[in-house]
Amino acid sequence: MTGSRDEQTQIERAIAHALAQGRISRRRFLRQAGKGGLITASALSLPAILAACGISPTGSGASGPAVSAAPALPSEPAGKLDFANWPAYIDIDDASGDYPTINKFQDETGITVTYTEDVNDNEEFFGKIQPDLAAGNSTGYDLVVLTDWMIERMIRLGYLEQLDKSQIPNFDANAQDLYKNPWYDPANAYSIAWQSGITGIGYDPNLTGRAIATFDDLLDPAFAGRVGLFSEMRDTMSLALLSMGVTPADATIDQVTAAKDKLLEAAQRGQFRNFYGNDYYDELANGNLVATVAWSGDVTQMKLYDNDAVEFVVPDSGGMLWVDNMCIPKKAEHPLDAHLMMNFWYDLANAVPLTEYVGYFSPVKGVAEQVKNDADAARAEDDTETADALEVVAATAFPDDAALANVFTYKQLDEAEEQQWNDLFNEVVAG
Amino acid sequence: MLPRRLRWLTPYLFLLPGGIWLLVFFLVPMLVMASVSLQTGSLGTGFVQSWNFGIYPEAIGNWSTQFIRSIWYALVVTGVTMLIGYPLAYTIAFRGGRFKNILLLLVILPFFTSFIIRTLSWKLILADNGFLLGSLKEIGLLSDSFRLIATPVAVISGITYNFLPFVVLPLYVALEKIDYRLVEAATDLYASRFQAFRRVTLPLSMPGVFAATLLTFIPAVGDFVNAAILGSRDTTMIGNIIQRLFLNNNNYPEAAALSFVLMAAILVLIGIYARVVGAAELTR
Repeated sequence: MTGSRDEQTQIERAIAHALAQGRISRRRFLRQAGKGGLITASALSLPAILAACGISPTGSGASGPAVSAAPALPSEPAGKLDFANWPAYIDIDDASGDYPTINKFQDETGITVTYTEDVNDNEEFFGKIQPDLAAGNSTGYDLVVLTDWMIERMIRLGYLEQLDKSQIPNFDANAQDLYKNPWYDPANAYSIAWQSGITGIGYDPNLTGRAIATFDDLLDPAFAGRVGLFSEMRDTMSLALLSMGVTPADATIDQVTAAKDKLLEAAQRGQFRNFYGNDYYDELANGNLVATVAWSGDVTQMKLYDNDAVEFVVPDSGGMLWVDNMCIPKKAEHPLDAHLMMNFWYDLANAVPLTEYVGYFSPVKGVAEQVKNDADAARAEDDTETADALEVVAATAFPDDAALANVFTYKQLDEAEEQQWNDLFNEVVAG
Repeated sequence: MLPRRLRWLTPYLFLLPGGIWLLVFFLVPMLVMASVSLQTGSLGTGFVQSWNFGIYPEAIGNWSTQFIRSIWYALVVTGVTMLIGYPLAYTIAFRGGRFKNILLLLVILPFFTSFIIRTLSWKLILADNGFLLGSLKEIGLLSDSFRLIATPVAVISGITYNFLPFVVLPLYVALEKIDYRLVEAATDLYASRFQAFRRVTLPLSMPGVFAATLLTFIPAVGDFVNAAILGSRDTTMIGNIIQRLFLNNNNYPEAAALSFVLMAAILVLIGIYARVVGAAELTR
């Protein structure tokens, strides 16, 4: 495939890559820092493990799905809020490093927000807060963003506070229907969407030399050693199941075993360069990977900032729709403040700058149109750079019907099933 | 000042801070981990102390490939760091002159930035189409599909790079203490320079060699950062498995069991090594 590229382009690319490596924007830096955080977290989780042993295995909170009435909220906000989110998942002022929209919330409400990027991985974060939740203590967080299947588990274990919808009127008024009454949290009793996206395939057509349409294209021997998969079990297994015509939510253990065999066979013949977390981004952006499983919003960012050749596709065989949600852990110390912040993000004026920066699907009505309007306004003012960027975001700020027709949700796994899936998947990722 | 009749307490008082430290941060976690390894359950439903000793053979059976690979990588790393580090430490100790301190500073200079940042920067330097490999491919010295990242070479090189100072420093200390007049005496007695090295310098530096190998081999076996950043599926080390079981699968019992097996394996290997080196010392 390289033969088709002329010499000039290759040299230009080499220079561009060399230069690009010196240019680390704040966004890229955060992604690297996030990876560092993942590794240092292994030390942090030791207290969690100690605590896990020091207490009775089944804590007070875990005595069954707690379907209680919404707890009474204090009448006045406490003026403080501890908010844990994922790295690079909020609008940041690149010059000052501040969070403009969070600052706006602080100015409007007088609530001081401690914003941390403590969530690197659903399971890892669960491991960190579970001992406190099981013991009936506060986790120190008032508002946390977690993925849909983890929300389902947290509800099942009684680890989340019920929401008082009277404090979140913007949700009923402004949420898209797709995000109301979701499979993991009927009637949004415990959670409302933060941003969502699709797990599909990202690829560089210049390097693959052809369009990538389905998951099985990733297994094409022509790309041996230059394909990436996620080390995250649910996404990878679900895409593999879909490629075998199985709906992930209905998968039996035999079908999961067959999917494992399919992936293992490809892994053993060296098809995959590696299994990645967030770091797949750099590998795809700099051409080490020609095609990889990818998250939709990442590819939007990549097109804007790192490699405009990269394309995102929902595989013909099917992609996964995931929703990251705001939720309030049990015994949170400032629950009313957390409600106020949830309500704040469902105001169009605040949802737009968030999505314009992060590039994922917004659950708020009208965001896609507003991003488009902002792009036109920037174009009118001859700010081409902003206009180009916003047009890319606008195109992906809400999934179109064609994409939605072909996306699926995760299976609700109970504890035993989850261990079985993990054990099978571990065979694939560790050679 | 203690009264004279309580003077005997002094050494114990000096031991106290270190002893408490070890008790709280080593012994207690070890006991907790031992207990965790013999529990069954999951984070959601809770772990129960079930004395499931079967987890040990199961863990070894599941991950023997990664165990053997880790020990093999660590042996290679120890050998390579010694081959690079010994001449370096020797030169600094005997030929460093007034530059000794600067040279030593240069050896530890990499520690001024984070271990992870340094490893990540190797990933950028050695990227398939990065400045180095990209240029070599451009002029036709390497085939287009050649790569270093995601190969065992990258992982072993990364560990070697990160642990080299741990070899140089103890070797330097051991070599620096050697009275160079002993070497001169050997040459006066008609030893060749090589014989003087083999019969005088090397034996006298053995405590440094012993310390350096331990300081490299033990952390290298358990290293997971290099394999995670520079490696691939086929370079997975036991540290990566333990990390994955602990953090991604919340499978604490198997992870704890694996940690103990790793510790036991290292102790046995070190025990054998200590006996061989000790025996060599005695028979000399």
